[in-house]
Amino acid sequence: MIPQVMHPMFAKPVHDEAARQGFVNDFRVHLASQIFPGNIQGYFKRVLPAFVKENKREPKDRHEVRRVMTKDPYYQLWSAMQRSSQEMIWDSVIDSVERQLPDLIAKAAALKGKGSLTIDPKLEIPRYNTAADIHLQPGAYHGEAGQNDLSAGAIYDRGTFIYSMGALGEHNDGLGRILHGFFRKQWPDRKIERVLDMGCTIGGSVSYWSQKEPNVEFHAVDLGAACLRYGHARAKAVGANVHFSQQNAEKTNFPDASFDLVTSHILLHETSRPAIHNIMKECHRLLKPGGLMLHLDLPQAAGQSPLEGFLWEWEVYNNNEHFYGQLRELDVAEVCAKAGFDKATFKIHQVSSTWDDGQTPYSDENFTFPVYTAEK
Amino acid sequence: MAEAEKKPIKLPRTAKGKKPIYFDPTTDKLLSMVLTLMGELSVVRDRLDTVERLAEKKGVFKVDDIETYDIPEDVNKIRMERRSAYIARVLKCVQDELDQLQQQGDGMNVDLPQ
Repeated sequence: MIPQVMHPMFAKPVHDEAARQGFVNDFRVHLASQIFPGNIQGYFKRVLPAFVKENKREPKDRHEVRRVMTKDPYYQLWSAMQRSSQEMIWDSVIDSVERQLPDLIAKAAALKGKGSLTIDPKLEIPRYNTAADIHLQPGAYHGEAGQNDLSAGAIYDRGTFIYSMGALGEHNDGLGRILHGFFRKQWPDRKIERVLDMGCTIGGSVSYWSQKEPNVEFHAVDLGAACLRYGHARAKAVGANVHFSQQNAEKTNFPDASFDLVTSHILLHETSRPAIHNIMKECHRLLKPGGLMLHLDLPQAAGQSPLEGFLWEWEVYNNNEHFYGQLRELDVAEVCAKAGFDKATFKIHQVSSTWDDGQTPYSDENFTFPVYTAEK
Repeated sequence: MAEAEKKPIKLPRTAKGKKPIYFDPTTDKLLSMVLTLMGELSVVRDRLDTVERLAEKKGVFKVDDIETYDIPEDVNKIRMERRSAYIARVLKCVQDELDQLQQQGDGMNVDLPQ
């Protein structure tokens, strides 16, 4: 596996913990590069011909592909191994976090730096976050194992690095790099003074933004207290200046017209349909007149072949990414219009996963993220 | 924070949410066990690699001494026996099936409830 930069808050693994994490990473690389392509071969050489023979036509959509592919032994074995590898990620990471947790909590308290942290112990965690642990992270992103706990954040920092097989880069902040790079390419001269990042988890993305735009006041909200505590400490450790607060992005306590820019990095697909409507309404309320919002997320179903569409939805059915399914078909333009945005300002950009410095940690350099933008 | 306050904290280990069934619940568990063992063997191999490299660095022996180790006959005999027992242990479930096939017609197990 490629090395991850160990900032001062990083839960450094000892020998066997590191070896276990390295194995899971390399196992997932093998599954992705060597085993996964067999699903495509199997579909065209075995599953599709059988379907055509029986139905005298090809599958009309990804749902029909699902019905036949989930019975294919090769797919079943890949899928079961992929699921196991996901469980193994967390198992390999929790050991090192659990072992060092009291030290990490002490370290977070002692770290000097900029920004702030506001925790709301009374915040109600919505059901779309409590029904199942997203990405199979035990205890979920909002879980707390005790006072001042930051374990969910420490686990997330290492776990998502292994999950993405290093695709988020050595600082695990690739999504922030992609969105910030896109923003400055698209709006090079735009003046911003106050920015809000919604659903920031450990603030990897917003901390990168803060490092690139040191004169801007950055705020970041998330449901998870442990992720925010870790995020605040991590931001201090990397020299970022971010004001973190535990809030639901559907309804924050910021006054109307507070921000020039509102961003999110893969937040929308973790929220329910009513929540997305509320989040867009909140974006509209929070933006100053002329303000801009940028939401980076995962690809929608439109334009994908039935097989591609089916394969993209593995996470929906096998990795507790239940709400990604509904985002894949959602008319985001309509949601934004209902929230008060002028439809003429709404746009879906397909943004390259290549960073602005030319690096492409993604194995597929042609991969793009949809970024939904609208102006108030 | 004082050392006395640094109490161990147990973190959750099981994710909430319904787990899909791929083959059947038992086969799914067996696959998970195989993959976990695969991982643990890799961990042990990495650790052995660390031991070898540290031994060379500290002048105990060279890694190449392992590659060129001339196996004495008595050591070879011990290893062959250990390997044979190891293979039999891992493949025991296959051997069990063979044994049961051979037992058919011998009148064994016929009185046991089906």
